[in-house]
Amino acid sequence: MTVPTHGLTLGYIMAQMTMARRLALLPLLLLMPGAAVAAPLARREVLPNGIVLLVAERPAVPIVAVRAYFRAGSAFDPPDAPGLANLTARLLTRGTATRTGADIDRAIEFVGGSLESDASRDGITVSLAVLKKDLSLGLDLLADVVRRPSFPEPELARTRKQIQAGIQRSEENPEAVAGRELMRLVYLGHPYGHPADGTRESVGGLTREQVVGYYAEHVRPDAAIIAVVGAVTLDEARKEILARCGDWARPTSPPPAVPTGSATSAPEASTIARTLSQTTVAMGRRAIRQDQPDYFPLVVASYILGGGTNSRLFFRVREERGLAYGVYSYVSPGRYGSAEVVGLRTRTAEATKALDIARAEMARIAREPVGAHELDAAKAYLIGGFPLHLDTSAKVANFLVGVEEQGLGLDYADRFREGIARVTAADVQRAAQRYLLPEAFAVVTVGTPAPVSGAR
Amino acid sequence: MTALVTALCLVAVLAAPAGAADPVVEATLDNGLRVLLLEDHRNPIVSFQVWYRVGSRNEHPGATGIAHFLEHLMFKGTPTYGRGQYGRLVEENGGRNNAFTSRDVTSYFVDIAADKVDRVIALEADRMRHLLLDPAEIAAERQVVMEERRTRTEDDPDGFLAEETSALAFLSHPYRLPVIGWTVDIRRITPPEIRAFYDTYYVPNNALVVAAGDFHAAGLLEKITRAFGAIPRGADPPPVLAVEPPQAGERRVTVHRDAQLPIVYIAYHVPNSRSEDAPALEVLSTVLSGGRASRLYTQLVRDRQLALGAGGDYSYYSVDPNLFWFWANPMPGQTPEALEQALLGEMVRLKAEPVSEEELARAKNQIEASFVFQEDSVHSRASLLARFEVIGGFRLKDEFVPKIRAVTAEQLRRAATTYFPDSGKNVGILIPKS
Repeated sequence: MTVPTHGLTLGYIMAQMTMARRLALLPLLLLMPGAAVAAPLARREVLPNGIVLLVAERPAVPIVAVRAYFRAGSAFDPPDAPGLANLTARLLTRGTATRTGADIDRAIEFVGGSLESDASRDGITVSLAVLKKDLSLGLDLLADVVRRPSFPEPELARTRKQIQAGIQRSEENPEAVAGRELMRLVYLGHPYGHPADGTRESVGGLTREQVVGYYAEHVRPDAAIIAVVGAVTLDEARKEILARCGDWARPTSPPPAVPTGSATSAPEASTIARTLSQTTVAMGRRAIRQDQPDYFPLVVASYILGGGTNSRLFFRVREERGLAYGVYSYVSPGRYGSAEVVGLRTRTAEATKALDIARAEMARIAREPVGAHELDAAKAYLIGGFPLHLDTSAKVANFLVGVEEQGLGLDYADRFREGIARVTAADVQRAAQRYLLPEAFAVVTVGTPAPVSGAR
Repeated sequence: MTALVTALCLVAVLAAPAGAADPVVEATLDNGLRVLLLEDHRNPIVSFQVWYRVGSRNEHPGATGIAHFLEHLMFKGTPTYGRGQYGRLVEENGGRNNAFTSRDVTSYFVDIAADKVDRVIALEADRMRHLLLDPAEIAAERQVVMEERRTRTEDDPDGFLAEETSALAFLSHPYRLPVIGWTVDIRRITPPEIRAFYDTYYVPNNALVVAAGDFHAAGLLEKITRAFGAIPRGADPPPVLAVEPPQAGERRVTVHRDAQLPIVYIAYHVPNSRSEDAPALEVLSTVLSGGRASRLYTQLVRDRQLALGAGGDYSYYSVDPNLFWFWANPMPGQTPEALEQALLGEMVRLKAEPVSEEELARAKNQIEASFVFQEDSVHSRASLLARFEVIGGFRLKDEFVPKIRAVTAEQLRRAATTYFPDSGKNVGILIPKS
């Protein structure tokens, strides 16, 4: 039995399992096909101070999942301080005006709950999971950490070192290394171009003053979305959130904007040398936002190309030639930009061959219309799997935040279904011609530069 | 509106309150197939799972990884549903499918819209006994499995060291073998061996069907009986006879390889759920590493800043007695020796003084809450039933929380003293090659 753990987990030993299929971790919103949702998924209200409150009642299991999201992710990092949003996020739970970090940990864990904070590219998220009977305690803690963090110097020094060590350790993971370099190339000159964690050097230079300033500027009610999902009613949720955050004053200045300016994508090749038995290949380019009409055709095209075990890449690279365990393509959408990503991992001696096959399939889906059966199957999967993606309170809470943050509307599930259903083979081909031609992709390879012979 | 209110009330009535027994419909078909069905009408989905009681535990030196290799081949077609049909049919119906192999079991699962479950039943019944096992497919998949091993083991310092340490800890019991298999074995295993393994272990009397979700149990049981009932019972698979002898002294392996930071593992032999000490070991594991207020986090990570992460994991659900793992990832500048000493220091403390009332209560609350959180998805509800069924019966699940609740601080101290002796250490150290 596992309970929530922090820091690194020992996945290999814990599970001692190994799986037949390895699929790309698809971004949540990509996988949000519509279903026949009779009632709206959630109720939405804007509180007087600007907090957007989203509530979904799921009464059957006595638990509540809460997300307090602030439009304050690493895209807002000052250019000279990459990692500031993440450090700020991590420190929220490390002490408040009236509680030490240890007090917070003991309080939430004593009731078997969890309270976590982290930063992604777009936002800082504080996540609460508690049994229904402990909701009041959980919300007290959550409100305290978002409204009254004290950023104690010793906790800052410790957290900084932890983040730096985590970055160092991630250098062992070729997919993490490839992903970082790929995002740099895809988002050259764009706030998504630097890793949310920052770098070891940049994190080392971050000060308490910067953290305090960042918090004051960005973590504010008019940049906040709070989703409450589970064994709770709308009235109850509103009352509890208002009691704790209703008097949180909205600053007079408007929330800061992200400078997305004149960013470009570089179709460059980049090689990072590591002594490994496999070569990890990641390709990427800029794509389109989720609210654009061609987003649906691109989702279908990406799925047919490399979205699952029926995909062309899976068949050509893995099933037919045994060249990879993992091979995939997906759209990675964000508020301020999106990317198309294609990747695989193969024994170094075959890396060139596998990459050539992947590129040929990218070119082919742009050159030839997809078959009627292939198209229907992809659409059926994307549409039909909807309920699976909203089967826990935590998943619903994440979905609600995503939909609100991307400005997609609470009826997005329905519109996704309709949008996917309308996609034609010509639409897929048009999207592929715009966003899947291999020449426009940056290519990152991580591995031993010269081919080596097999594993030990 | 009235209909909606009624529906909500029904949902509330049907959902089991925390701690109550699941209203499971159980059956054993004439051919020995066990069936466990749990209605859950909150969402129009079903998690349909087939568990085979076979894993690397049933393997032998020279043919390791065969259970996992076969798991891959279960997606490679039958005469009725040819190559690629399984995945295609599931995905076309909006389902998610995957499988995993562990030391003890091989599990296949599909989560799918409730009105599509008939198709899944047909597919699972078909592939229980009718795999093609085409040699050409096996040859291609062998390369895929090799790639999987490279990803999980050769190119992953944690996976690599865990494999070395497991192999060190067991002399006789097949838990010493890596689930994915040794490279030379994956390369060598022949199609006839795979066929024989399939024929031995993929029989209804060695399998468990478990489903949770939006169905009527009586109707679903009828469909399962129709689809699986005609499959003949097989010979009982050979039992695993190996019993690990007592450990006579400390064992140690040090691996030098490319890595950024060292890793330290210390593993001890412990009993499994059949022992009356198992609940204490489970609580101990949570006291040690359940969250940021846990022992190892507060001591090694927060206060002494020796480790980036540290924990202790118990193998409650293991079919045979297995290991209790301690692990730590040293911070830059810290040596593995310092971390090993720090972990051993925590063990000395566990043996010398009882854990505090707060620590004990917190761990129990965490374990109990995690049970409630798992009720939130039909997939985890079905999986949890299956895990208990595999170790002796799904009703053991209902006894689990009461057993945890009854654990005392003195039992934790005794368990630490009994099972973590200095002579019982299996130490794995990974040192980055500079």
